[in-house]
Amino acid sequence: MISRRLFFKQGAVALLALGLPPASLAQALRTPRSAAARRKTLVFIFQRGAVDGLNMVIPFGEAAYYRQRRSIAVPAPRRGDAEGMLDLDGFFGMHPALRPLAELYARRELAVIHAVGSPDATRSHFEAQDYLESATPGRRSTRDGWLNRVLQQTPCAECRGRTLADPAAHAADHARGQAGAGLRGVALGEALPLSLRGAHPALALADVQRFGVGGGRAAGLEDAFARLYRTERGDAVHAAADEAFAAIEILRRADPARYQPRAGVEYPPGEFGQALRQIAQLIKADVGVEIAFADLGGWDTHVAQGGAQGQLARRLGALARGIRALHDDLGARMDDVVVLTGSEFGRTLAENGSGGTDHGHANCMLALGGAVAGGRVLGEWPGLEREQLYEGRDLAVTTDFRDVFAEVAARHLGAQRLDGVFPGHPSEPRRWRGLLR
Amino acid sequence: MRSPPVFPPRRTLSAALLALALLAALGAAPPATAQARADTLAAVHLLQRATFGVRQADVAALLREGRAAWLERQLSPDGIPNDGLAARLAAHPAAGMSVAELYRAFPPAQPARLVAELAGARLQRAVYGERQLEEVMTDFWFNHFNVFAGKAAVRWLVADYERTAIRPHVFGRFEELLRATARHPAMLLYLDNARSVAIDSSAPAYRRRQPRPEGPRRTPGLNENYGRELLELHTLGVDGGYTQQDVIEVARAFTGWTVARPGRDAGAGPGFVFRPELHDRGAKTVLGRALPAGRGEQDGLDVLHLLATHPATARHLARKLVQRFVADEPRPRLEAELVRVFLASDGGLREVTRTLFSAPEFHAAENRGAKLKTPFELVASALRATDAEVGDARGVLQTLRTLGQVPYAASAPTGYPATSEEWTNGGAMLARMNFALALAAGRLPGVRLPPLQAPGATPEARVHALARRVLPAAPTAELERRVLADVANAPGGASDVRALGLLLGSPEFQKK
Repeated sequence: MISRRLFFKQGAVALLALGLPPASLAQALRTPRSAAARRKTLVFIFQRGAVDGLNMVIPFGEAAYYRQRRSIAVPAPRRGDAEGMLDLDGFFGMHPALRPLAELYARRELAVIHAVGSPDATRSHFEAQDYLESATPGRRSTRDGWLNRVLQQTPCAECRGRTLADPAAHAADHARGQAGAGLRGVALGEALPLSLRGAHPALALADVQRFGVGGGRAAGLEDAFARLYRTERGDAVHAAADEAFAAIEILRRADPARYQPRAGVEYPPGEFGQALRQIAQLIKADVGVEIAFADLGGWDTHVAQGGAQGQLARRLGALARGIRALHDDLGARMDDVVVLTGSEFGRTLAENGSGGTDHGHANCMLALGGAVAGGRVLGEWPGLEREQLYEGRDLAVTTDFRDVFAEVAARHLGAQRLDGVFPGHPSEPRRWRGLLR
Repeated sequence: MRSPPVFPPRRTLSAALLALALLAALGAAPPATAQARADTLAAVHLLQRATFGVRQADVAALLREGRAAWLERQLSPDGIPNDGLAARLAAHPAAGMSVAELYRAFPPAQPARLVAELAGARLQRAVYGERQLEEVMTDFWFNHFNVFAGKAAVRWLVADYERTAIRPHVFGRFEELLRATARHPAMLLYLDNARSVAIDSSAPAYRRRQPRPEGPRRTPGLNENYGRELLELHTLGVDGGYTQQDVIEVARAFTGWTVARPGRDAGAGPGFVFRPELHDRGAKTVLGRALPAGRGEQDGLDVLHLLATHPATARHLARKLVQRFVADEPRPRLEAELVRVFLASDGGLREVTRTLFSAPEFHAAENRGAKLKTPFELVASALRATDAEVGDARGVLQTLRTLGQVPYAASAPTGYPATSEEWTNGGAMLARMNFALALAAGRLPGVRLPPLQAPGATPEARVHALARRVLPAAPTAELERRVLADVANAPGGASDVRALGLLLGSPEFQKK
């Protein structure tokens, strides 16, 4: 079987084989500053491993929450308790470790969507992760991700006059290097996540500063490898290398390393903090990033997850400090950025026998940015009494995660044909939750 | 202990080599029948998939021995001398230590050092072991029953897990492999079964041992983690026809399967123990099969037997084996044959492995060079192809970290992916090229290459000799031409280093 990406890439590589040299290609890819000025960007943060959303944004108004979580419940907010849960609206509260985000909620820059999730019942991590990333729950044959399809369906400053009526042609145009391509979709990390895989070029970058070949030791190595990888029988491997060489050229010119974090901004230590710091650099360097993707794991808290303090609290702290640092670092540029979090499913309402929680169903998501209608917990709350739970044990889904994705794809990023992004799921505006202003 | 240097110094160039180089330079191939060519291609394909990388000398040896005889020998690894590896592993004693010895030698203060030691030993085995098929299958089954060294006490248990629960069973019966993993403390801790107890269990001793968090007392109870992954990943597969209720019933069946407390349980040591007072004594129903009340440990054994002999398990394993060793896409006929052999042999993994590597579908031309090597395969195969000498493995492990595949460091129970798609992206391709350049130039810390002086008087002959060395039997004329175009003007030694780097970083070498 031949993947869609491969199919289009073969055409692209064939063109390259006709002699279009990488340097002039990169020249063509260079984004004009004016076009970048109002470029919209989505930063998607995948809480891979199923975060316990009920301890992230906590329905402290539910008696069942405290009945079912005897050792891991977070105590309800108390007046004058600076260390405790952060009251959002008298019913929901944020975990105390999310304080840096609760402040943004109070400033109406951050919204919560609760009881959001997949219509599919699976409690398998890998299956549910694939469904979230492909945005085709229940269909495992999907080979590309929703963020890649957004790129296919979104006009960009570089696509002069090119219609989106044929998204395949649009992706192929980019793959042929006719327009800014390599850095429209970027994942920080070693591997390209399924969300960004597909016909449109997208790039995984572990380290922006060391993205190159040979470390400057010998001349011409990039050109030499580019020649080895430029062949008429190109496949995904060749195509990936081509994208990398084009991106090297763009990064060399833009030199994102020049953009150091704003004074006073401190990213949390570790890979996640590094990823967000580099995303900020890429955005500030105007290299054309429309979608940036970062992973943060460590959420699969089957054992000893803790309550107000402990394992989950530490993880949430890293998440909140990272997002807050990105927000503060980007400053006014947050007007054009939306940060969205998601996780494959939630966890059981009841704690298990090990002071942890098992795989559940609905979860919560966070959205942050100048375009976000913040300061609200969005969605319909299904309740936590036994008869209100999904299969008698888990938070029920009242918002399809695709309707959250769709609102951001259409209203923030400008995706034109949502049926192309979410096949089989006509996401109409009436199903959106009013996440954006 | 090790094979002679790959690239003999110029002064030792024999007349025969000169003649060969001359032939190559003239574009003439040594006379070969179509059958001989086909045999060579099949031999290389078998080595690409059933070992951690093809060395030029291996191809000739396999052709002399014949594919079937080679495979039989590899399927009975105890008969293959492995002294060279043993000598190397003496420098990595951690992999052979007992759990108690490891705990003494690597106290909790330095967790990273232990995992690096073990990963280094795994690399030595992959690169220098003569029992290559056993190594490859150990890697496969470890990944299938993955545990993560970074969780809880698993880092002190993972060497014993590989040595006692995985390796001895890779050519044995699947049910025994399954049982060995189910009872091993590494698995019991990694997937939390050690802490899963009957909901109504009155087990005061257990409760006292719980670390007491702030706040209210915690009640021990069921933990579904192992039950779910056992069904989804280890046996039936995600579409194997089980329900959430089956997950719960399986978890109930395994309550009481836990880790012995040293000094308190009989036969102490960090081994398996069944503690009846933690077991759910009620009746259970798993996949429609009734498990009567009150049978204790037998519940879990019955579930393992039921799963190990289930046709859905055979299908799931066949799919995974084909995906790892044959092609990214399904091969329905081969998978059906593997299912048949698995069920007919009572889960005999030697029989299944023999079928896998000898079936006509395995050798289909479309499979050749069609899979992307995983990062670990790439690194091991490059070290093998160049006869590199790995002393301190930490430099190589750093490369593997950059590429995203350090042994024992896959945190999810799914282990590392096996399909090309998941390892293909621009950043990863650059990291592979950088590894190739560093290795060829002798810049990889802890790794020494034999003196690099390709035989041949002309640049054409030298590039050709290097290409044969790292890509035996592959059609490399076009690749050689491009490499040559780049290195032609560099001085002799530098051009060989550069040519080797380009060849190891070429698209052809990324495939297997």
